[in-house]
Amino acid sequence: MIEPASLGNFFTIFFTAAMVILLGALYALLFAYSRIRLVPALMPLAYLSYAGLFVSTLVLANAANLLSHPLWVAVVVCMLVGYLLAPHAIWHLCVGTHARGDAVTAKVS
Amino acid sequence: MATLGICDSANLNGGQKLAVKYFTVAITLFGAQVLFGLMAGLQYLMPDFLYGVLDFSVNRMVHINALVVWMLYGFLGSVYWLLEEESQHEVVGLKLGNLIFWVLTAAVTVVVLVYLLVQVGPGKESSLWLINEGREYIEAPRWADIGIVVSVLVVFYNVAATFSKGRYTGIAGVLVLDMLALFGIYLAGMFYTTNISIDQYWWWWVIHLWVEATWEVMVACIMAYGLMKVLGVRRKIVETWLYIEVALMFGSGILGLGHHYFWIGTPEYWFSIGGFFSALEPIPLVAMVVHAVFDAGARHAKNSNHPTMAWLIAHAFGNFFGAGVWGFMHTLPQINLYTHGTQWSASHGHLAFFGAYATIIIAMFYLAVQHWRGGVWMSGDLPGNGWKWKWSLGLLNLGMVGMTVSMLVSGYVQSQIERAIEGSSWIGYFAAQAHPWFTQGMWWRELFGVMFAVGFVLLVWDLLTIGKGEQRALVPAVSEG
Repeated sequence: MIEPASLGNFFTIFFTAAMVILLGALYALLFAYSRIRLVPALMPLAYLSYAGLFVSTLVLANAANLLSHPLWVAVVVCMLVGYLLAPHAIWHLCVGTHARGDAVTAKVS
Repeated sequence: MATLGICDSANLNGGQKLAVKYFTVAITLFGAQVLFGLMAGLQYLMPDFLYGVLDFSVNRMVHINALVVWMLYGFLGSVYWLLEEESQHEVVGLKLGNLIFWVLTAAVTVVVLVYLLVQVGPGKESSLWLINEGREYIEAPRWADIGIVVSVLVVFYNVAATFSKGRYTGIAGVLVLDMLALFGIYLAGMFYTTNISIDQYWWWWVIHLWVEATWEVMVACIMAYGLMKVLGVRRKIVETWLYIEVALMFGSGILGLGHHYFWIGTPEYWFSIGGFFSALEPIPLVAMVVHAVFDAGARHAKNSNHPTMAWLIAHAFGNFFGAGVWGFMHTLPQINLYTHGTQWSASHGHLAFFGAYATIIIAMFYLAVQHWRGGVWMSGDLPGNGWKWKWSLGLLNLGMVGMTVSMLVSGYVQSQIERAIEGSSWIGYFAAQAHPWFTQGMWWRELFGVMFAVGFVLLVWDLLTIGKGEQRALVPAVSEG
């Protein structure tokens, strides 16, 4: 079920795992900032961050022996898809909830 | 008419008066946590220190139990703080709530005294009932466990009855259900089985679910209330996001429990469940970055309480790094095999608890002080430029980050030498404990612990003095967007 990581891969695992979260946050940050401030030039940087996340995830998966079992491959795929789509989904939710809030306020006033 | 600049109970409603009592005990226990943590840390460096008087096992137990109880007090205080305002109805059964506060506080005092003065008992059922239940982190004897459950049930009654008679909001609905879970899940840690795997299985319900589900939901409710109060965010938006965040949290958080089941003798499928959900747990956190940026950009609100706002921001970062980054670095079973139970776990635990919980309770302390003093001005241009709250914020956060990184270094050595090279043997354990990197990490942890303690003293000083004599009233935050 699991193949424990080898000693030589410890640092790689810790580092890439941290990078997955940090680059995920950077991607989300640049993505949202680019849209809210209408700075399209930042969007390529957002996707560059995601590319970094993609590479980090694959290196992590390799170092943690995740690619040798279908379940762990599925985990890796879910992570990559999740990190890619979550900011888009949350953005739509933000726009939707704020638009509804504005409409309610307008109606009351 | 509010009395500006003076801590006057006439400035508070009934629930808030009770909340102030809870907050007072909370910060006292916070101080005890820091003190016993410093002593336990010192025992890593000088094992003879207080040996036979206050052993490491007792110090550590009081350190962690004080953490659990001060946060519980902080959360219950926060719930009482917002209850009347949120429901627009006075607290139903307030006298009972007050009585239970005193009973619970007396019980906590007795438990701590027994921890310190009696410490251990014979291996009999009576010791479980009267001295120590023996379950790590929730060592309280069984009579006290029952007391906690009864107390939480009374809080549930106060909350549910008040909301049912007053205004029933989105925050109310979430809070009432959460209070029910706060009572129910604690029961899982109150019975004993002779099979250690089964015992640990249920124990984790309290340690993970009580904390990561019921506390997180309370934090979400407090955050929702705090954002309305401090930034003037519209209720509609706050409540919609409360539902979304609770759903996201439950989506990955509940079965993320599986990462605690890796090594306790549970079936192998927990590797799959725990690994899968733990890997996905940080995604909502990262996604929330979008929400934060959207909110910051969409509104240009001025906040009415700078210390509270600063601690809410510290909460967002602390939660992200402590729970997200530090958690994910060692959550997969392939690496967790080597890290669990080492200083790695302690490193993650310190930053996650501080970031996710301590910060938001401190934010509530400042909000409470502001209103206790009659709704005084606590934005910019405070006397002395607000140096006390800024320095305490800086020292507490730097102290915590320093402790976290120090323990990370020690934990890294432990995971390599004790676990990977020596195979979790006693020889490996002692080899790791004696390694220079481990001991240096422990020294740095102690130094940063002292920094944290200085920050705590400043925090208490500031809470006692901020807004004193201030004659400017707060300007309620109004969203411009």
